[in-house]
Amino acid sequence: MPFEALDFYDVDSLLTDEERMVRDMVRDFVDNEVLPKIEHACRDGVFPDEWRVTLGEMGVLGAPLKGYGCPGLSYAAYGVICRELERGDSGLRSFASVQGSLAMYPIWDFGSEEQKNHYLPKMASGEWIGCFGLTEPDYGSNPGDMITRAEDMGDHYLLNGAKMWITNGSIAKVAVVWAKLDGVIRGFIVEDEDEGFSAPEMKGKHSLKASVTSELVFQDCKIPKDRILPGVKGLRGPFSCLNNARYGISWGAIGAAQACFDSAKEYSLSRIQFDHPIASYQLVQNKLSWMLREITKAQLLAYHLSQKKDAGDWIPEHISLAKMNNVDIALEIARVARDIHGANGILDEYPVMRHMANLESVKTYEGTHDIHNLILGRYITGIQSFTRDLS
Amino acid sequence: MTIAVLLKQVPDTTAKIAVSGGRVDQSSVAKWSTSPYDEYALEYALQLKEAGGGDLVAITCGPARSSKMLTDAAAVGVDSMLHVVADTSEMDSTQIQSILAAAIKHCGAEIILCGKQAADTNSGSTGPGVASLLGASCVGMVSEVGIEGDGFIAQRGISSGDERVVVSKPCLFTFDKGLTELRRPNVKGIMMAKKKVIESVSAGDLGVDLGESGVKINSHAPPPEKPPGQKFEGAESVPTVVAKLREEANVI
Repeated sequence: MPFEALDFYDVDSLLTDEERMVRDMVRDFVDNEVLPKIEHACRDGVFPDEWRVTLGEMGVLGAPLKGYGCPGLSYAAYGVICRELERGDSGLRSFASVQGSLAMYPIWDFGSEEQKNHYLPKMASGEWIGCFGLTEPDYGSNPGDMITRAEDMGDHYLLNGAKMWITNGSIAKVAVVWAKLDGVIRGFIVEDEDEGFSAPEMKGKHSLKASVTSELVFQDCKIPKDRILPGVKGLRGPFSCLNNARYGISWGAIGAAQACFDSAKEYSLSRIQFDHPIASYQLVQNKLSWMLREITKAQLLAYHLSQKKDAGDWIPEHISLAKMNNVDIALEIARVARDIHGANGILDEYPVMRHMANLESVKTYEGTHDIHNLILGRYITGIQSFTRDLS
Repeated sequence: MTIAVLLKQVPDTTAKIAVSGGRVDQSSVAKWSTSPYDEYALEYALQLKEAGGGDLVAITCGPARSSKMLTDAAAVGVDSMLHVVADTSEMDSTQIQSILAAAIKHCGAEIILCGKQAADTNSGSTGPGVASLLGASCVGMVSEVGIEGDGFIAQRGISSGDERVVVSKPCLFTFDKGLTELRRPNVKGIMMAKKKVIESVSAGDLGVDLGESGVKINSHAPPPEKPPGQKFEGAESVPTVVAKLREEANVI
């Protein structure tokens, strides 16, 4: 059976013709080039390089950025792209999120004219892969206390420290790395061949297996002076990147949930127990209708947020709510879908366990579920609860 | 040179087809797509244009919904689009051929590509019929076409191997499944397509007098349901199964 993207309220009818054409293009790519290969990619623990090439050819990398060879699409189109990619696999969507929102975006927003002209066209075409170095082994939810330091040596900067959990790290040509220069967080563009820089891959993941995750290690890494991002200081830099990536995740999670729903529906209609399809039993119908309910709500939430993003009328807390809710329900839908599939649900013949394992990471990265709750808690009460320092 | 590709919008091959009152219920079709053989015609039309230059126009005759297919064609590189808006559900093949031939003349195209048959009607008459009305050479069931000197060379499979046919313009090729991958649009193409305007005309605007339909479709009916599968258990049923495979299924 071909994939049917659940859209109970016909939310996609609110998209423009152009946005729907972009959707169909990416959906076709996922059907024909991603799904036939995804399980092998996961078993081998690799991100197939041909996907990078096709993403570049389709012109979807850095979707909402304008100029410098970037697509210049709406945020709604960017969301749709994320949704369709993540219907294939969260690792594929992660690649696109990191490339566009975490590596291209800071250069586009905070880079010099020379930096934009040098890096963005090649990153939009997929020729150069980018990554984003913020998280450190001991500083995840609390990036402000990062250890990585940059030192001004007169004619260059010297970078020392280590980053961890870096998507695309070992395959990236360009790393946007956040480090403290005289105690202030600044962005630096590090290239793969820079002296003193290495990016060993992290192995042994049970999640996002078709995505490359790495450490970034800087040992007296020499960075030319023109590779600092001149346009931003402090945590606002990395946080503005994360806002865009989290926005994309709020759409992406819907794609994973739709894939799980579709598989659960088909399976329950064809699986016969006690002489009848299990879809005819009330317990299973209850699960399916709960999935439909949550996916529909998530779609409306993501669509409305896209309109606010495109209108420039949004606050980071809006994105926190969408990322947190949509990933949360997608993960729960994946778990329930696995349950409906019974023992078959653990096989890679069905996509559900893969999505489930992927979404465990998605729930944690880009601001954990709990941190987004605290962001909303601060919004509601005006009291931050991240630290014990209540001043 | 102007190249024309004829496209038809048909129910997607995955769409469920319902028949009511002896007719396919068009309103029940959830998804409409470009007829698959026409997609190969489009791909080779794009390749001809890339190899030899010229303008590529996509032409369709059908209801308003068909215009989406023309926009999709523009997204992969078609230069202009002509939509003859008509309710084709009760037209016969010759009427549609007259409209398409007039549309091709209207565009000034001398090289025409189309699918060998549409995925809904499977009639296979459009290509040869249009070629006949235009006085163009017609090469049917081709899998590839390219430029050869002043003319064109097409390849098609025949029972004894491959046949290559060389023709000069005006000419029309009907496509079987092609030998190449179909291209996917990209964002740039989709944004360009938004700017291209579809020329929308009626049969009357093209000066076509449809007259009376010469062929009348009596009724449509869904294919008969497949008989239920047969189940055999135990070693003693092996001879029965072997006999059935040999005599009924003809597979051994």
